[in-house]
Amino acid sequence: ETDNCSKMLKYRCSGCIAVGKSLNSRNFSKLLHSCPYQCDRHKVIVEAEDRYKSELRKSLVYNKKILLTPRRRRQLSNES
Amino acid sequence: MFQGRRGWFCGSVGQELRQFWVAEGGTLSDPQAADFLFSCDASHPDTQRIYQSLDYIEDNATVFHAYYLSAVANTEIKNTVALGHFILPPACLQKEIRRKIGCFIWEQDQHFLIEEHDEV
Ligand SMILES: [Zn+2]
Repeated sequence: ETDNCSKMLKYRCSGCIAVGKSLNSRNFSKLLHSCPYQCDRHKVIVEAEDRYKSELRKSLVYNKKILLTPRRRRQLSNES
Repeated sequence: MFQGRRGWFCGSVGQELRQFWVAEGGTLSDPQAADFLFSCDASHPDTQRIYQSLDYIEDNATVFHAYYLSAVANTEIKNTVALGHFILPPACLQKEIRRKIGCFIWEQDQHFLIEEHDEV
């Protein structure tokens, strides 16, 4: 019973069945993330993209730190 | 179908699909203002810029393969095509994703385009 259910859900997560006109590039990722039953396909894509995004986030933070070394910070405060 | 929607198109998207978008009521816009981001090539510099944007990192920008539009063009009931089947992930992830799920749906859907050309 539960097995059938999960098998069905496997192919029909929010990302698969959502066809509404309100969907777009701005809200799609949030819709997928909020879906409790991601199908195998969407799960793999979401996981890969999430990993990519977190790597990018880390490198952004890292770059910001380099920008804000003491010398640079002094320059910034002199400018303002 | 796309009345009042703003679409951004990567340089990798062919003219036919842009024209279809406009014919269906969509307008063309820059990536910041767009409701829809379309590309045919994740490794194209235009699209790579999206993948490096803050919008993308913060889950506010999903790139869709523009074959979504040809799928829409080729179905009788236009709003039954699942947008979610046309997610285009960054090129550096595609190999790994393919290994796990087989090919992307937009790769399987290329026959839509061929059918269209056959009819013309
Ligand atoms: Zn799905």
